Amino acid sequence: MMHRTVLALVNIFICGCFASPPNFILLFADDLGFGDLGCYGHPTSLTPNLNRLASGGLRFTDFYCTSPVCSPSRASLLTGRYQTRSGIYPGVLYPGSIGGLPLNETTIAEVLKPMGYATAAVGKWHLGVGPKGMYLPTNQGFDQYLGIPYSHDMGPCRNLTCFPPDIKCFGLCDVGVVTVPLMHNDVIKQQPVNFLDLERAYSDFSTNFITTSVKKKQPFFLYYPSHHTHYPQYAGPGAAGRSLRGPFGDSLFEFDTTVGNLLATLEQTGVINNTLIFFTSDNGPELMRMSRGGNSGLLKCGKGTTYEGGMREPAIAFWPGTIKPGVTHELASTLDILPTFAKLAGATLPRVQLDGVDLTGLLVNRGKSQREEMIFYPTDPSEMYGLFALRLGKYKAHFYTRGATHSGTTPDKDCPVFAVLKAHDPPLIFDLEADPSENYPLPLVGRPDLQKLLDRIMKVKAQFEASMVFGESQINKGTSPELEPCCNPSCSPKPSCCHC
Amino acid sequence: IAMYVLFLQTFTLFCIIRCCWTEKAANVSSTNIIVMLMDDMGWGDLGVFGQPSKETPNLDTMAAQGMLLPNFYTANPLCSPSRAALLTGRLPIRNGFYTTNGHARNAYTPQEIVGGISHDEILLPQMLKKKGYISKIVGKWHLGHRKQYLPLEHGFDEWFGAPNCHFGPYNSSWRPNIPVYNNSEMIGRYYEEFEINRKTGESNLTQIYLKEGLDFISRQAEAQRPFFLYWAADATHSPVYASKLFYLTDSTLGCVILYGDAVMELDDSVGQILLKLQSLGIQENTFVFFTSDNGAALMSGPEESGSNGPFLCGKETTFEGGMREPAIAWWPGHIPQGTVSFQLANVMDLFSTSLALAGVSPPDDRALDGLDLTPVLLAHAPQNTSPADRPIFYYRGNELMAVRIGPYKAHYWTWSNSWEEFKKGINFCPGQEVLGVTTHNQTEHTLEPIIFHLGRDPGEKYPISVLTREYQDVLSRISPVVEKHKQSLVPGIPQLNMCDLAVMNWAPAGCEKLGKCLKGPKSEPWKCDWPH
Repeated sequence: MMHRTVLALVNIFICGCFASPPNFILLFADDLGFGDLGCYGHPTSLTPNLNRLASGGLRFTDFYCTSPVCSPSRASLLTGRYQTRSGIYPGVLYPGSIGGLPLNETTIAEVLKPMGYATAAVGKWHLGVGPKGMYLPTNQGFDQYLGIPYSHDMGPCRNLTCFPPDIKCFGLCDVGVVTVPLMHNDVIKQQPVNFLDLERAYSDFSTNFITTSVKKKQPFFLYYPSHHTHYPQYAGPGAAGRSLRGPFGDSLFEFDTTVGNLLATLEQTGVINNTLIFFTSDNGPELMRMSRGGNSGLLKCGKGTTYEGGMREPAIAFWPGTIKPGVTHELASTLDILPTFAKLAGATLPRVQLDGVDLTGLLVNRGKSQREEMIFYPTDPSEMYGLFALRLGKYKAHFYTRGATHSGTTPDKDCPVFAVLKAHDPPLIFDLEADPSENYPLPLVGRPDLQKLLDRIMKVKAQFEASMVFGESQINKGTSPELEPCCNPSCSPKPSCCHC
Repeated sequence: IAMYVLFLQTFTLFCIIRCCWTEKAANVSSTNIIVMLMDDMGWGDLGVFGQPSKETPNLDTMAAQGMLLPNFYTANPLCSPSRAALLTGRLPIRNGFYTTNGHARNAYTPQEIVGGISHDEILLPQMLKKKGYISKIVGKWHLGHRKQYLPLEHGFDEWFGAPNCHFGPYNSSWRPNIPVYNNSEMIGRYYEEFEINRKTGESNLTQIYLKEGLDFISRQAEAQRPFFLYWAADATHSPVYASKLFYLTDSTLGCVILYGDAVMELDDSVGQILLKLQSLGIQENTFVFFTSDNGAALMSGPEESGSNGPFLCGKETTFEGGMREPAIAWWPGHIPQGTVSFQLANVMDLFSTSLALAGVSPPDDRALDGLDLTPVLLAHAPQNTSPADRPIFYYRGNELMAVRIGPYKAHYWTWSNSWEEFKKGINFCPGQEVLGVTTHNQTEHTLEPIIFHLGRDPGEKYPISVLTREYQDVLSRISPVVEKHKQSLVPGIPQLNMCDLAVMNWAPAGCEKLGKCLKGPKSEPWKCDWPH
């Protein structure tokens, strides 16, 4: 212990910039698209606190998640590794999933724990529950957890209230499974969850965690993956009807309000200048929900696809006094958060193949990003097809394209599920700076410069694929109804009796 | 800070600030006015409106120091009528900048047009003259190129620029190149004295326009005269151009100018103009408004088209992409910085607002379509209130295509372009065909308008079902507004019906001195053909 402390001190000394290890708050929105925030050009969203983060922090225009759906994207965020390595593919985990994020993977919380951090997760986990809750956050480096351990549409919602006074949730959600539970650590507190009160509970839990940690003079890491803006949208009395954007806007506004509460708590406890807040989203908007889905702005398609709309995300890094306000066009990814937090905390990186790069030079000194490429895997990566697309510098090459149910109902014929898998040889190449909407593939004929670029792309692709070892698929392990969280385990008939 | 900033301040603070500003405004009787009007620039071209590319640091700063208006509209999705509306404060259907040759056709002022802005119309500089303003237009006029229609005949004291678009080059025997004027005389022509390299896109014009603007500001500041500068640069209109400083030369490709290069040069110019005001110390006495004449010209993509962000279609159409414009108001010490107003507003409001700032009462002998925006600009309205209840009318030629009230937009007519034009490859809505909405036949919906909630659905993709209560409620609110508008509307005499090769820029004033007069053909007028 002593030894470790000394090491940490030496680390801080060498780094020379931080008096005490910084606190981290990682905000992760759900199905929120590139064009959904006011500061990213949405004409009617109401996000004053996120806009405040953007105006006082560094806003990214070229930030990517690693998968166009939830679970894999979250696995990459917390491990700094593509989901193919950890086995969180294809698709997503379900309430009764047998698998989950393997316990031998190292999460950001596990990286920070040895440095004496208090850690908490609040909100949507979606990296597995498993037998005896073995995959829950408290087994993955988090001291505490409050939340729904998967998507809040993964249980019947027809009779649940999503907006006050008693407006039922829109649609049916998943039927034939238990209603969604609210868990504290590994104990079910409520089933079904009360959506009208959920955000207040999350906000109180988070602000208490911050206050307690500061009182104990302990650095902290708060991970808040929100459910908000994922279908079915919900909002409590403080946010319902407040935005110009209907249910989606109200839901986003409620999330934004919590961001405001967190900021206020950081100010009250006097640690705002020693806390890095990082905000981003898990994947693109679920366009099939139409005006109840998100918005990818000028980007092509959305959730489920490897077009820009599916994987380019809003992202903001906020740290008053350390990160200068501005906008960056440098390439960065959710993969980079683990190495960056580790560096800032002076923590040791896990001894595995990491896919992330340290962004501190970019954040603190506005230097160049060390990231040169971004890999786009589909929802169902396989060794047979490999990656679907690759971005190198400002160019993106699509080797395969495919629409997705999640991106249905859009006027662009490339987005819905009817756009079947198409191989492109040579790949479709876009200049994402001149054509961020991926409307106009560059002609390769008569362009020796692009031919050279293509050679480089093929080299990077080959190198990357040679480095990729696919982990055993956790999702293909299947589901078992007994594993679905039930507040009254011995009741019958299931799943409807799981109601407390 | 390149940002869409919303600072929630305490209500008390609002009140204090509000009172101070209102008083200040009342005391300033001769505020300088600068309107920067871009050409075919889209809502989504600014970083502050979500453009991920690297083009607009100065505009983003302008927004951070001023007020952003995400609900700002033009009066018509094409340049000439839009500009006529700005300068007259009246819808084109009233001021005559439309055609009756076809139904719902966009018309403008190519050089064969016979008409132009009528002397019966009162233009903003004429009104400002009452308070001793000196007015200059720099750049594109586009309200008629024949002698009686030129800027100095309609209240401007100075002009540097051209009467038409910078298309060309032309073979002078059948079509003269467009003249460039200094005040009331031409000093050369595009592609002759004023080079635009069609192969590379290089041209120095934006730099010339910038210098003209800066010189004018300096002269007026020195003379301590109130001024109105209408800075109408056109580098983002096809053929797009940029000067050497603003494009990269690629060793294998030579140089090819892209749309973004033109944006960057304009953005730089905006920055320099604001800097000039600050260095002259007149920034607190100068109201600056930035906007564009119509939506991005998506049919010119990718090299020559901007972005309309999340909105449907673009230029020429009455969907949001054709008529929603980027807009920033800037006036340090008066307009609270880093604010956003969701007020529904349009270019015609710039007429009324400018008059209010100058302390001139608006003409009372005619219908005006603009509102005085000073209460919105100078007060700090809370962001979550609904936009004030005023309609936005979407005209295409002689037809009222759509109406917006609050967050709702009702389409009475839909049309992108004809099948004939579409099959030629002209696409106003690339990648955005919405079934039954982006129609290729002019389609009437008067009995059952297509209604969108632009708050939930800014991209106009999901019509509200006619079977819902919401639809019926909205319709019952919109119908009387439309009825009232139509009943009270007195259309002006259409100015854009007749064309004639004889009226082209063969021998503009000043051509003798330069030896650049050309001889035109005999007059043979015809009814202009407006395909869109």
